[in-house]
Amino acid sequence: MIPKPSGFRLGRIMIVARREFRSTVFTKGFILGAIAFPLAMFVVVALIPLLMSDHAVPIQGTIVIADSDGSVAAAAQATFDRMLDDPLSVGGSAQDLLDKDSQPALDDLQSLGDAGTIVNVKVIRVSNTSDLIALRADVQAERLLALAEVPTDLLSADPPVDSVIALLVPSNMSPKSTALFSRTIRDATVVARVEKTGTDLKKARALVRQPKTDAARMTRDGTQASESLELRLFIPGGFMILMWIATFTSANQLCTTTIEEKSSKVIEVLLSALSPTELLAGKIVGQSFVSAIMLATYGSVGIATLAFATMLDVVPLSAMLMFIVWFVLAYFMVASIMAAVGSAVSDLREAQSLIGPAMSVMMIPLLVWLPISENPTGWLATISSFIPPIGPFIMVLRTTGAIEPIPAWQVIGSLIVNFAATFLLIWLAGRVFRIGVLMQGKPPTPLELLRWARAR
Amino acid sequence: MNAHGEPAVLLQGVRKRFGSVDAVSNLDLSVGEGSLVGLLGPNGAGKSTAIRMIMSLIRADSGSIRVFGGDALDMKDRIGYLPEERGVYRRMRVGEFLEFMGRLKGLPREGLKSRVEQWLERVELPGVIRARCQELSKGMQQKVQFLAAVLHEPDLIVLDEPFSGLDPVNARVLIATVKELHQSGRTIFLSTHQMAQAEQLCERVVLINRGEKILDAQTREVIERYSARAVIVELVERASTAIGSLGSIDGVDSATEQEDGRTISLALTDSADARQVMATALAAIPCRRVELSRASLDEVFVRLVTEHGGHSRQPLQGATR
Repeated sequence: MIPKPSGFRLGRIMIVARREFRSTVFTKGFILGAIAFPLAMFVVVALIPLLMSDHAVPIQGTIVIADSDGSVAAAAQATFDRMLDDPLSVGGSAQDLLDKDSQPALDDLQSLGDAGTIVNVKVIRVSNTSDLIALRADVQAERLLALAEVPTDLLSADPPVDSVIALLVPSNMSPKSTALFSRTIRDATVVARVEKTGTDLKKARALVRQPKTDAARMTRDGTQASESLELRLFIPGGFMILMWIATFTSANQLCTTTIEEKSSKVIEVLLSALSPTELLAGKIVGQSFVSAIMLATYGSVGIATLAFATMLDVVPLSAMLMFIVWFVLAYFMVASIMAAVGSAVSDLREAQSLIGPAMSVMMIPLLVWLPISENPTGWLATISSFIPPIGPFIMVLRTTGAIEPIPAWQVIGSLIVNFAATFLLIWLAGRVFRIGVLMQGKPPTPLELLRWARAR
Repeated sequence: MNAHGEPAVLLQGVRKRFGSVDAVSNLDLSVGEGSLVGLLGPNGAGKSTAIRMIMSLIRADSGSIRVFGGDALDMKDRIGYLPEERGVYRRMRVGEFLEFMGRLKGLPREGLKSRVEQWLERVELPGVIRARCQELSKGMQQKVQFLAAVLHEPDLIVLDEPFSGLDPVNARVLIATVKELHQSGRTIFLSTHQMAQAEQLCERVVLINRGEKILDAQTREVIERYSARAVIVELVERASTAIGSLGSIDGVDSATEQEDGRTISLALTDSADARQVMATALAAIPCRRVELSRASLDEVFVRLVTEHGGHSRQPLQGATR
């Protein structure tokens, strides 16, 4: 149907590529999305700790604890007093607090992000046999921060029983304060109970405390680097998402510009100077530079984050280089699909019906990210590495910061399969493109697309 | 003729079918180098399909198409093409767009900007080089599109409906430019259904209808061939008073009064001397005007299209599903 192009003129292809690149990059949308946004992200991440600090609302007031002998109230007051003396200790790690003989109740504050909160609480003890109706009214009227009723058997039963401490707080009390009071009083109860037995609490705590492990990785250059299993799972995901964003942004742009060229009727003017294959090649190459810029900007933020976490060595240089290879394969496969779709339709709405099935396949890497990161040598990971066009994304998940080494045959095999698939998709896209760009009217069915691909 | 001894464009037995419709049937066509040939036909006649096949944008089902003795794909830099469905990059600046097209057509970067400026002035578009294409009027955009086709001063210029949508002033500018290009030795092949412009421009016309060629001749020859053998006499007074005496002139077969009441058409006999009849008429009756009847290309077009089955079927796009 469409004549075969004779010859392939690299110079003309690069002229098209240059225009495609400039028309995409020198736009407000791209500058904001690909350059300003990652920069802003970087700044925000850096500023968050600053923004979060010193903004906690002080906790001040009176708590009434009703216990049988006042030991719980005394222990709780001791804890609150320590918090008042050293507000910054509120933000320390749980271990730090334990080491200072502080109370683990402060974990609650830390978990709620309230490091440094000023806690100035006075504890009043009443007997648990007293009439507490008036005190409950004080809580309701917000004159008291809380009223805790400690059952007698919690302190006296031998062995200890699991009775419940009733903690009453005003309706507007913040959850973090409630959690702090709850934990402090529970812990004070334990302190009181243990002290009744004459046991050295500090010693007892030290005895039952599990020792920490300090995992470190011995790097190839012989130095030690920190280790975090969580980060090891997230790093491959980060690389894969980076590749996904860079690939799809450009490929989507390729689809859009092709549709625009068709709808603005400039396509036939271009085809008077170029063959369809040259035009397609120029557009794909041009958008590949756009994709590379996105990869560079977002990648720089990622690498800076890794360096900040002293985990740069988690992703060896060889994996970084292979990442570029996987990226190139992924980009050319996805770009070919999107260029073919763009050439076959007349507007973006029509494109959705063809992009939909392709996108559902391309979402797979996002869905299998965690299972594959956790088990990069499992069946799911192995098989999906050989399925184009998701193979390169899966291989990035498996190789960047992998917690287990990937057999070399799988890397080589996946490379071969995905290389072959890339060439096949480029060839098929070229066949569809040369017919599609001159077509007007209703979008083709998948069968028609196949016919175009087979047309002479 | 070129090195291959062939005309600039040569079509032999070309056929293109879309579904059950023959867009072009067995078309033979030859456009000699340096000539200016018009491809005429009603909407949907197959003009654009034929041109797209010449440009190798679509492949003919059968027959052969040669441009400068080879494939148009190999000759792209020697061809300037203004498609019927044309456009520009709307957000691109005029200068950038034309430089981009010039580079695609093989022009070197050096001197390209000044060439663009010269051409813009030539088509009376000075000062728009920095304007974005979308800021131009439709007519101005059409001139820019025309420049994209001729900027590299190709040997063959193929123009598909180049004047459609243009106002008379802009059309005149482009016609003058086309004439200049032709005079400088370029081969020009244009399609149009605007007969007045074709008559004004083209040395030769090819008329197609329903994908078939129904006329291929020199424009002057067509006019002469299809002009009636008649003398038109416009009188000073009412025609009814003179129709009898004019009808009796030697060589006049019949005299017919026209609708305006002042003009009489004298049909001549086969052996009549038209000059003699005109001289006799002038001497016999006071006349404002006496002239030989001349058919317009428009009349020829309508007559031929009607004779060959009327207006074309639904318009066909070269590559419409």
